[in-house]
Amino acid sequence: MNKIIFTLLFLLLPTLSFALELSLEETDDSIPITIMPISGKASGIIAADLKRSGRLKIINHSKLIGVSPFGGSIAGINKFSDVTDYIVRGKVNQEGVLAIELISTSDAAVTRFNIPANKRARRVAHQAADKIYQKITRIKGAFDTRIAYVVVTNKASPNRQFRLMISDSDGENAQTILTSKEPVMSPEWSPNGRVLAYVSFEGGESAIYMQNIFSGEKVMVSGRRGINGAPAWSPDGKRMAMNLSIDGNSEIYTVNLESGQLTQVTKSDAIDTEPVWSGTNSIIFTSNRGGSPQLYQIPAVGGKARRLTFNDKYNSAADVANNKITFVTGQRGAFHIALKTLGGTDKVILSNGRLDESPSVSPNGAMVAYVTKKGNQNRLSVVSDNGRARQFLSAPAGDIREPAWSPYLR
Amino acid sequence: MNTLKTKLLIPITIGFFTLVGCSQQVQNDPDAGVAVNAGEAVINSSGKGANRGSKKSNIRSTVSSNVRNNQSRAVKRGGGAANINRADGSDLTLAGLKDPNNLLSQRIIYFDYDKAAIRPEFMVLINTHAKLLAKYPQLRMTLGGHADERGSREYNVALSENRAKSVKRIMGTQGARASQIRTVGYGEEVPIVAGKGERSWQKNRRVEIKYDNY
Repeated sequence: MNKIIFTLLFLLLPTLSFALELSLEETDDSIPITIMPISGKASGIIAADLKRSGRLKIINHSKLIGVSPFGGSIAGINKFSDVTDYIVRGKVNQEGVLAIELISTSDAAVTRFNIPANKRARRVAHQAADKIYQKITRIKGAFDTRIAYVVVTNKASPNRQFRLMISDSDGENAQTILTSKEPVMSPEWSPNGRVLAYVSFEGGESAIYMQNIFSGEKVMVSGRRGINGAPAWSPDGKRMAMNLSIDGNSEIYTVNLESGQLTQVTKSDAIDTEPVWSGTNSIIFTSNRGGSPQLYQIPAVGGKARRLTFNDKYNSAADVANNKITFVTGQRGAFHIALKTLGGTDKVILSNGRLDESPSVSPNGAMVAYVTKKGNQNRLSVVSDNGRARQFLSAPAGDIREPAWSPYLR
Repeated sequence: MNTLKTKLLIPITIGFFTLVGCSQQVQNDPDAGVAVNAGEAVINSSGKGANRGSKKSNIRSTVSSNVRNNQSRAVKRGGGAANINRADGSDLTLAGLKDPNNLLSQRIIYFDYDKAAIRPEFMVLINTHAKLLAKYPQLRMTLGGHADERGSREYNVALSENRAKSVKRIMGTQGARASQIRTVGYGEEVPIVAGKGERSWQKNRRVEIKYDNY
């Protein structure tokens, strides 16, 4: 295996200085692709996105001498086929539209497409990366998405501060959604990608809120006695599963967001929490009813719970997207991130820290964001589903927690 | 590892003799106390040294017999510090809440990993606060439950609420009214110390007693 470490220092953001490091293990079965320079930043953004997928290998364009510019001839392009499988040429016009030519070097086939202009220019490049990725791998790209997370400063001091943040999926464009002296936890995206649900202790006890990330409009969803935790939207956006302890014990409930109707899903003496929807009729959750935390599945209207995890003493914190499930698995005192197909036996361990937690899978199921402990600081990591590409994003001034990958943006 | 064990055994031994001797001495060093707990964890995880094992059980049985025999002799091990004080009826006043030598000044109860069960050595402390609540029906408190950083965050919220509820349940048996006690599970979000390892984790697995207005 050919291990290459890349370190890229990105632009400092106006409010936060983020250092983005890419650490990638490239293997011979990844597909070589060359991104020719495009005016503006698009080529760099596209290359970084494709690299992060773990399925493509970026070949430096300086290794290709004599490729004609965008719109130019592709005669003799197959002479590059032993260096790269694909060549991307692009051009941004005056309106900000990005035109892309994806050229296959083996057969000189050209795929052309345009990405419409967007006032957020980086999104244009992410959308181009999504299309290129999809053409090559036949998997829908998920680079034009966001990640929400919590950053805490002074975490063990009375001056601690919690910030709920959102950024693009590559960590750029970080913005603060909420700042609080009291704990903020468990961000979760609405299915339309416009609203965040989260837990905040700003009133002295836990409560679940929904907040529109564009307008800032904020509504309390649940402020019941005891725990109000672990919000999870149903895929149709009509209900929210959550953890409540109104009956004296930690149970899963669903709330109909239109009528407010409360439905109890679990009933046990154990801790039942961390619900996540698997389709509109089924909920996967963590319970210690068997003695240690394990994953279970139950109909969303309640009923008989079925245990899903049997290996290892500890399995929790599931997230589901595109028929993939990711969760934390504990092995001999260490906690790692696992990914597998729902109902499948293809479990892979994607992380190698000792205290890895809070995995969230991208909407296409092909990447997982999670938190890994380095020293006394939590760092946000993104890993490809084959484990070959891993990106660390860190905010130097804070402890990063609980990434939540958005659905596809509309 | 050897050095670590040696260091940890010293506070264990101190704790052992202090307890056996029923000393009136007040120790206010929380670190010494945590060292006792961390030492126990080392003993548990190694599980080999018969000597150390017996010392551990001696501590436990001494604490238990103190609890059983005479509640006027309160064994204080908030953070494990062997701190013995009188906590009979005469000390149960609101003024006692502000007296650093009174058992009522101890406001933290520590827990084992992934457990909400009360350790026997904290029974006297909990009962003393409960009796104060029973004596002053207007008095209110919040029991804030906390967890260490291991395990998922929402699971830890539930675990820490269970810890607070365990304390509340025992206080109820001593005459405290349910309406006097509010429980909140903070999970692992509000640690006392940031470090990892059992020494830090033990300090963070706790229930904090906070009186309204005191």
